[in-house]
Amino acid sequence: MLVVDRRQAAVFAGALALRLLLLVLFPSLPDLLTGRVEVSTPISSFKRLQEGLFLYTRNVSPYDGGVFHQAPLLLPVFALLPNAREFPLPTALFYSLIDLINANALITISDSGQAGSGRLFSALRKHIRWDGVSIAAWFLFNPFTIATCLGRSTSVFTTTGILYALSNAVSGNSLNAMLSLGFASYLSIYPALLFIPLMLLCYDRRAQGSRLPAGVAIFAVQHLAIFLLSIAGLLGISCFIVGDFSQFISATYGFQLLVPDLTPNVGLWWYFFIEMFDSFREFFLGVFWLHLAAYVGGLTVRLRGQPLFVITSLLGIFAVFKPYPSISDASLYFALLPLYRHLFPLMRYTFFAVSALLYATLLGPAFYHLWIYAGSGNANFFYAITLVWSLGLSILLADTIFAALRDEWEQENPEMRGKEARQI
Amino acid sequence: MATPAALPPLPFNPARVRSYLLRLPLFTRLVVLAIIIFWLLELQTVWSVIQWGALAPDEIGLGSMYRLNTYPIIHNGFFHAFLNLVALTPLIERFEAEHGTLTAVALFLGPLSTFPAGLYLLIEKFLLHRNTAVVGASVWVFLLLGTEAIKTFKSHPYFSLGNYKIPTWTSPLFACVVVSILLPNTSFLGHMCAILVGYLFGLGYLKVFVPPEKILRWIEGKLNLLGRLPHYISVDQKTYGRYGVLPTTNTMGERGTPMSYLGSSQRLAAIRKLRSNPHFLYVHLPHILSFICVLAGVIWLLLLPLNDYSRQTYISENALLPGQVHAYFSGSEQNIFRGYRKELDGLLPNGAPGEGSERNDIELTPEISNKIQSVLRASGLKVATQKYEYTSAGITHQGKNVYAIIQAPRGDATEAIVLVTAWKTADGELNLNGVTLALTLARYFKRWSLWSKDIIFLITPDSKSGTQAWIDAYHDMQPPSVQPLPLKSGALQGGLVVEYPFDHRFESLHIVYDGVNGQLPNLDLINTAVSIAGGQMGIGTNLQEMWDHNDSYEARLQTILRGMAKQGLGYATGAHSSFMPYHIDAITLQTKGDGWQDEMALGRTVESLCRSLNNLLEHLHQSFFFYLLMQTNRFVSIGTYLPSAMLIAGNFTIMAIALWLRTGYYMGSKPKPSANTGVSRNEKQDQLANSPDKGKAKATDVEQKNDANSIIERQLALPLSFVVGQHLLGLVPLFVFNNLSHKYFTTATYTVMVADVVLPLLLAVLLTQGFTPKPQQYLLMKSFSLLLLGLFLSTLATLNFSLSFMIGLLCTPLSFVSRISPTTSAPFRYALAFVGLVLLNLLSPPVILLGGCWYTGVPVETILTQAAFGWDVWGMWTQVVVWCVWWPAWMIGCALLGFSLF
Repeated sequence: MLVVDRRQAAVFAGALALRLLLLVLFPSLPDLLTGRVEVSTPISSFKRLQEGLFLYTRNVSPYDGGVFHQAPLLLPVFALLPNAREFPLPTALFYSLIDLINANALITISDSGQAGSGRLFSALRKHIRWDGVSIAAWFLFNPFTIATCLGRSTSVFTTTGILYALSNAVSGNSLNAMLSLGFASYLSIYPALLFIPLMLLCYDRRAQGSRLPAGVAIFAVQHLAIFLLSIAGLLGISCFIVGDFSQFISATYGFQLLVPDLTPNVGLWWYFFIEMFDSFREFFLGVFWLHLAAYVGGLTVRLRGQPLFVITSLLGIFAVFKPYPSISDASLYFALLPLYRHLFPLMRYTFFAVSALLYATLLGPAFYHLWIYAGSGNANFFYAITLVWSLGLSILLADTIFAALRDEWEQENPEMRGKEARQI
Repeated sequence: MATPAALPPLPFNPARVRSYLLRLPLFTRLVVLAIIIFWLLELQTVWSVIQWGALAPDEIGLGSMYRLNTYPIIHNGFFHAFLNLVALTPLIERFEAEHGTLTAVALFLGPLSTFPAGLYLLIEKFLLHRNTAVVGASVWVFLLLGTEAIKTFKSHPYFSLGNYKIPTWTSPLFACVVVSILLPNTSFLGHMCAILVGYLFGLGYLKVFVPPEKILRWIEGKLNLLGRLPHYISVDQKTYGRYGVLPTTNTMGERGTPMSYLGSSQRLAAIRKLRSNPHFLYVHLPHILSFICVLAGVIWLLLLPLNDYSRQTYISENALLPGQVHAYFSGSEQNIFRGYRKELDGLLPNGAPGEGSERNDIELTPEISNKIQSVLRASGLKVATQKYEYTSAGITHQGKNVYAIIQAPRGDATEAIVLVTAWKTADGELNLNGVTLALTLARYFKRWSLWSKDIIFLITPDSKSGTQAWIDAYHDMQPPSVQPLPLKSGALQGGLVVEYPFDHRFESLHIVYDGVNGQLPNLDLINTAVSIAGGQMGIGTNLQEMWDHNDSYEARLQTILRGMAKQGLGYATGAHSSFMPYHIDAITLQTKGDGWQDEMALGRTVESLCRSLNNLLEHLHQSFFFYLLMQTNRFVSIGTYLPSAMLIAGNFTIMAIALWLRTGYYMGSKPKPSANTGVSRNEKQDQLANSPDKGKAKATDVEQKNDANSIIERQLALPLSFVVGQHLLGLVPLFVFNNLSHKYFTTATYTVMVADVVLPLLLAVLLTQGFTPKPQQYLLMKSFSLLLLGLFLSTLATLNFSLSFMIGLLCTPLSFVSRISPTTSAPFRYALAFVGLVLLNLLSPPVILLGGCWYTGVPVETILTQAAFGWDVWGMWTQVVVWCVWWPAWMIGCALLGFSLF
């Protein structure tokens, strides 16, 4: 995107201005948001990052003290920025720029048109679409994105990795796509689950080009190698930064996989594992992770023609079933959803899902307040609302997947287009 | 394979169940209906249906013979009724189809109810000498099972289980045994009586009681019952039943006369017509539902004071043990009190204050403050002071708190109780006796060795800001203008504020409990105070300024409403209110009236309360935090009262959902072609292109089908930005009213009032001229606005019920106003819009504020100064709700009416 059109410039400038304006008008807002459990999880909290940074700049292992659980590569980057407590502006600017970069990747994804028509499948209503700038605006002005940005959650870097993996994949740079995905997986493990659909997306994109690539298997092995090598490289650099490899692995990936910190968040894991007897903990950890990973195979096979849609849906599923989800994961899903504007006419429960999400957004903080501050509620209040939140997201997910299937079905049965069909 | 038709069919066919239910014969329907009606009747609590109609052996006399007939249709709760209905319906349907409706009526109203009942009475009363009342249709179930079993016995005498041959007539007995084992509270005897009568009937011994067929046929013919009654089964048709044809198919096949369906088909058609009438579904029904919601919400609130919906208060935390200890504060302590009082009097400008109004002008001077400190120090307490200063609405509030700590002889300084006496009470009166009492109590408490919690005595210059400054600083949350505390103790467990603003004796104690933003202290604290004052000390207590509460419905309702008004406005009602945001339960005890209680009685009450709090092992948590008090010893808890606010908030959500559906599926009475958007048109073109071989007629057919099924594309950008913009606009008045100097408040209120008249019209003009919105977009604006309103109000209801209820009630007209369709004649439309605008303007926030001021006689400036003070000092957010929830929704409602003018 070298040619910057004026609408895009306006949207980007507006988004940047809005973020800085919020920072200037409400100086306490970033700290407030950083402390919110909906924004900051143990693996993305800016407060914990600062703790790690403090130790790192004093030549102590950042993982000493058991507070910091994020990838070590973030530390040298943030060490360059001035202290966020005294000078909040540079950090805010940095995060806003990351948002803009993400929006830029979204524009590339949207302009490629891969959401509507790929190699194997072309949607019926693909002419109903929003252009890239609208989608970027949708992402940049989404309150969840803004809250994540102001709350300085480090999950935005994972978002960047995923979005760049997608934008490279749809533009045909499969090597860069794998490197980006490697970066995202290095930061937080779960993007590695996107490897298969992303590889298929790259393959489809390559096959669309002039020369047909070799078989899928060889393509997959090649790309897996690139992916693993990129992760290995990043791990090597991390090892160089931190020193103690095993401590770093157990403090970051071990922490994400074994979920020892049960601070409340918007997800479903914390309450379940608080209630769990210790002897069953390992078993259910396995079950929960298996459940999360199980969607990859099914969706990839069923929607082989639309790998980008598979990735979008998987991101939505991750936002619900991940161990430490936050609103940042939801905002990533909401960022990719408008690419499927052509499915909206086929969706049936949008209003209900959006209402449920809105209710959860308002009631969540209210119930958290009743539980933690007012003392007149209890944990079940907040947990009930996280269930509603997950329900809203799940309905949205199920509805989009239904719409995609219906779209495919109408493709196969042209005579049924627009008619009511009932599942029996 | 992509078709979802590959899924297995459901285990039962809903269509068949439906057709079965639709073909139930008349008497069966009546029985089912009667059972349901009686079950519904039981839901009320005034008249006990079960007591009225149960078959209770001791109640049976000549006048209560009706019980012999009523008991089968009365049930003991939902599951009883439901299970019996499920069991009874097929049996009685079969019976009726076989014997005809008239026979069924005659038998079931007669011998088949009374015989089992009589048998049961005989055995129960005269053989067993017991008195167990029975209800329920299970008597008919077992009776019919008995007859069926005899019938089966005649065709298949035995079923074999291994080598044993079991006679089939015993099967109801097994059923009876199993039921009495599995289900609690079933009358084995009653069921056995029913089975016995069933056997007799099945064997034909009761034939005598069946009315002769000739007579029945005569009645039927004379009255033309077959023609008049729907689902009626003729006596004649029973012949078919006897030959074993399934009764249901039988009645269907043979009774094909359209006459018998006449009545029901008319009714069904009317309902079906309503169901397929989109105008009713999308326009009228939501209005009706919304209105019902509002009505139900209000009625719900009005029901709360009744005994059935409220509860007696009780002490939930056992550790409190209110009034279990003797209070020793008496006798010689009175001399100390008088001494301290004299010392304080000496420092006042004119000696002892009189009763005049100048009494209230006496401030807490540095000399008095020093004297208080020296008294406390002399009693052996650690004393410290704190200066504070707040500026709000151009007024500076400053002062110096004095506080002293008794360190617990038996504690580790991790917990503390606060006793607050403000120099000026919440009403601005001089609290001289209260302060003196606190000094006396400090000296007295210091000598006790039984305290396990520190006791902090806090003396503040006023009730509004002093406690707030102190409690903020206690938790290190103070603004820069407030000094930090030099001396601290442990976590505060409870707070008591004592006010004694006159010199004569008092009659009763007034307990004030509302906190900032409608937060309430734990109900246990209030209960303890009430029980100590009333039970131990013999001092009456009042709530919410209800001086003569006669426990009538009106008085209870008035107490609730006063409590709700205070909670809803969310201001601090006394020095105790500042404690609530920190989750410290606190109340104010005010002395009221002219009676024979003296300061010693008040001191003993405080002592006993402190002893109760001293007993606490953990923070007050057992009892309710959300309640409405209607009397010192009666309350409703959140589970009972919350639905009323939720119903009112729900009315907006219902309307929003209905409008959303309406914009998608139904626009106006005749959909214009322009309403079809590009999507459907393009689809149609695609279809035409894909199927060129299809005739044109077929294509149009498809088009019409498309119109019925597909969704009209909604254009969301304009409505969304309009609604969001309105809500953001609310920040402007919020900022202005919180930062203006108090001198301009009156002007500002009138300015906003005028702006409220002009702004909606201006917006309407701008939008209609600038964007020319479609009719659909007006509906979407209303939908989003109401969705947000419902959302905010239901969230608010969990935090501050009363505020949500009040705002919801004031906003109800917004559900029902919308843009008047331009098809209505212009003069009528203008008149209607004008009237609507005038009425809405009467309900605008500034007008309501002015109305409230006029009603209470308080100047606007005072109220708004108080509100700004609340925002700046107490952290009150009633304004946010008014300006960012109520005002935008109101504005959009007005703008929608305004649109119809242009």
